[in-house]
Amino acid sequence: MAKTYDYLFKLLLIGDSGVGKTCILFRFSEDAFNTTFISTIGIDFKIRTIELDNKKIKLQIWDTAGQERFRTITTAYYRGAMGIMLVYDITQEKSFENIKNWIRNIEENAAADVEKMLLGNKCELNDKRQVSKERGEQLAIEYGIKFMETSAKASINVEEAFLTLASDIKAKTEKRMEANNPPKGGHQLKLTEIRTKDSWLSRCSLL
Amino acid sequence: MDFANRNNTANKFVCPSDRQLALRAKLKAGWSSSKTNEPLRPEEQEAIISVIRRNEEIEIAERQRVGRLVERVEKIKLHAVERGPNCCRLCGDAFGLLRPQRILCEDCRKSVCTKCSVDINIRYHNSERTREIWLCRICSETREMWKKSGAWFFKGLPNYDMPVRSASASNTPTTTPTAGGGGGGAVAAYGKAGAGKGARAVQSCHGTPARGGRIKKLTIRVNDSSSSSASNSSASGQSEPEEDQLDGAKSTTAGAGTASASAPGTGTGTDSSDRQRLQRDESFRLRAYGSIRSFIDGGERKLSNSFFFGRQANANAGSRQADGQDYDNISNASTVAQLRREGSFMRRSSVSSSWSFSDSSGSGNSATQTTQNPQQQKQQQQQQQQQQQQQHCRDPLLGWLELAISYRESFHSLDCTLVRARDLPAMDASGLADPYCKVNIVTPEGHTKYTRWQRTKTVHKTRNPDFNETLQFVGVEPEELGNSLLYVALFDDDKYGHDFLGAAKVCLSTVHSTSQYRISVPLGAEDQYSAEAEMSQSWPNGKMLISLCYNTKRRALVVNVKQCINLLPMDNNGSSDPFVKLQLKPDAHKNKKHKTSVKWRTLNPVFNEEFYFEASPHDLNKEMLILTVWDKDLGKSNDFLGSLQLGAQSKGDRLQQWLDCIRLPDHFHEKWHCLASDNPTH
Repeated sequence: MAKTYDYLFKLLLIGDSGVGKTCILFRFSEDAFNTTFISTIGIDFKIRTIELDNKKIKLQIWDTAGQERFRTITTAYYRGAMGIMLVYDITQEKSFENIKNWIRNIEENAAADVEKMLLGNKCELNDKRQVSKERGEQLAIEYGIKFMETSAKASINVEEAFLTLASDIKAKTEKRMEANNPPKGGHQLKLTEIRTKDSWLSRCSLL
Repeated sequence: MDFANRNNTANKFVCPSDRQLALRAKLKAGWSSSKTNEPLRPEEQEAIISVIRRNEEIEIAERQRVGRLVERVEKIKLHAVERGPNCCRLCGDAFGLLRPQRILCEDCRKSVCTKCSVDINIRYHNSERTREIWLCRICSETREMWKKSGAWFFKGLPNYDMPVRSASASNTPTTTPTAGGGGGGAVAAYGKAGAGKGARAVQSCHGTPARGGRIKKLTIRVNDSSSSSASNSSASGQSEPEEDQLDGAKSTTAGAGTASASAPGTGTGTDSSDRQRLQRDESFRLRAYGSIRSFIDGGERKLSNSFFFGRQANANAGSRQADGQDYDNISNASTVAQLRREGSFMRRSSVSSSWSFSDSSGSGNSATQTTQNPQQQKQQQQQQQQQQQQQHCRDPLLGWLELAISYRESFHSLDCTLVRARDLPAMDASGLADPYCKVNIVTPEGHTKYTRWQRTKTVHKTRNPDFNETLQFVGVEPEELGNSLLYVALFDDDKYGHDFLGAAKVCLSTVHSTSQYRISVPLGAEDQYSAEAEMSQSWPNGKMLISLCYNTKRRALVVNVKQCINLLPMDNNGSSDPFVKLQLKPDAHKNKKHKTSVKWRTLNPVFNEEFYFEASPHDLNKEMLILTVWDKDLGKSNDFLGSLQLGAQSKGDRLQQWLDCIRLPDHFHEKWHCLASDNPTH
């Protein structure tokens, strides 16, 4: 129980119902896959400890229900999240179109400088594809966030996605704490805002 | 047809469309309310509750971990020697030629020796250039603590449980005379609130018997950290209505038979534990105070202490507030606010009686006390639980705010009248401020209810403004009142940025539909909501990062124009070609004007250019640095983009930077400032 860790990062998975958020999380935390569709009730979370640069990072990953009826519960967890994964289904055009609504939802509810990442799930179903990889990349560039195509079923990029998000948050920690005097909020926040703005092109990795 | 189709159940699982969102935004109802709100089924509720339980376990572990981090830093601080400027702050070794080398810590600006400091490489955010800075061990550990606890993200330390204190809590129950009905009830209420914070509940049990009306006096003592007899005697000297109220409260609680604690016994019980906490707090703030003291000691300015105090203490005080559990904290802020109010009654006996808590519809003080008794008890229990979390409220006061709240059930509207504020921190050299209020409602989830903050008019050149302005919040459901908070943040109005003055939170559970609720609350330190309020202010002209340094060798003011962001686009291509002109006025040394190079086609130029203005430190007290940003146009006159003035006549953050620069020469002082749209050179 008393496993020590250096950092605790709270991550959040959001996206339309049925895009595979729970499966991604299941793959990451248990390295397993379940084909039956069980809709998540409200919220759930899983824990996994990873190691980055010799630091133990405990990831508490919140899985949210995509269904609208749980929206009040799920939005309550936005604010505590340091990183948010936006997930869509590459075989479902609608789930991709809704990403911008989810982003708006983040802007309304989450902390201002939360790290975001876009995931196109179910990339093993290439023959049923409705959203091309380029469109995903384009959207990610538009919002200045990273993008990956993943498959929970075939275990493609799931691990990488979480590790990327975690290392981005960790990098942000370091940047923030070393840029200026630490225990002052206000102005530093604005500093990082610019930083992200400046470097979005270089940050968009295409995997 | 189309609309009906949209609301069809086929679309239920899908995010709403833009059109629906726009409609909902107009209703200000959020995402979920316009849908058929299926209530959660019992099994669903159970599933969610079990998840929340699991989360609580993790949070307890996390709080203990953060507690250990804090403890570690505090231990180091306890061992610091602090023998003065010529000795290492930590080990006490004197500096000298053959002795250890003196190093100035970047964060706390105190001298330490090489052994007790750490050097870290800092990479500038916009260039690959690195810079080496030294930090003393306390500050480097503090930074580490901020990193590891997540405080960097939430802009404040989350709630934590100190490992030592919980041990001492179990050791000291002998000093707490009764932990009977009241204490147990407190824990139960706590559990009901969904907090279930085991370790903290233990702490709240300790030293929290049912104290009824007595609690106020106890806190006063901690506030002033004077002896009990002193506070008792001063309590008797306070203004009359207040005493009435205290007596009333005492008698009613005694009548209800819940307050079984004897007054002196409770006093010693809580006093010891409070002292402990106080001590912890003090050490926590040591850094801030230390650095401030140096300002005040050299004080040639007439700036009130509260100005610096308030500002610096903010950083530490605000740091105590966690983001996630913040709501627990603030839900009782209004009650704790009362405690603090009382505290200052001791100190300021001149305060008129109108400041006291009053219910305009009530027939008499004691009568209303009786009717509100159960509610009051509940509040007091909450007070007790939250006491240790509210330590940070004991910062030097930032002033008072008096407001009146009423609720009109038929309109579902909450009317909030901001009556007046008193003793606000001074913001300019003449000791005045230009305050205004920003108001919002904080929901139980800890979010602000409205995206747009309502604001009052600015009252100019005063620290005691009379606002007398009513702001109306529509769409407030009666059931919402119980657990929502009214959040008021006061800012200083200035062309070049709005500086935080203080914030108050009022629990709306006591607001009735029939009567007006008048209350005066003390203003607290910055937190996430005030930051949100500050961010809601838009600065169309953008911002500028300026670094100032007084170079004693060259006897010159060094101005480093670092960068600007979000400048106005002036050219047809949607961007500008900005450059900055610098000028010192009135210039005793006849320096020439300077300007930076032009950065082509950008709204976020990075200059990093340094300019020297010859001046003596004495002169600087009279001079004003004027910076103007221009858009370079070939063939026609340049367009004006924004201006900034820094000097001893500035206010708030700008004044502080200017004074920092004079007081601590040979160091760069960097700050962001907003640009104003008027051109001062014309």
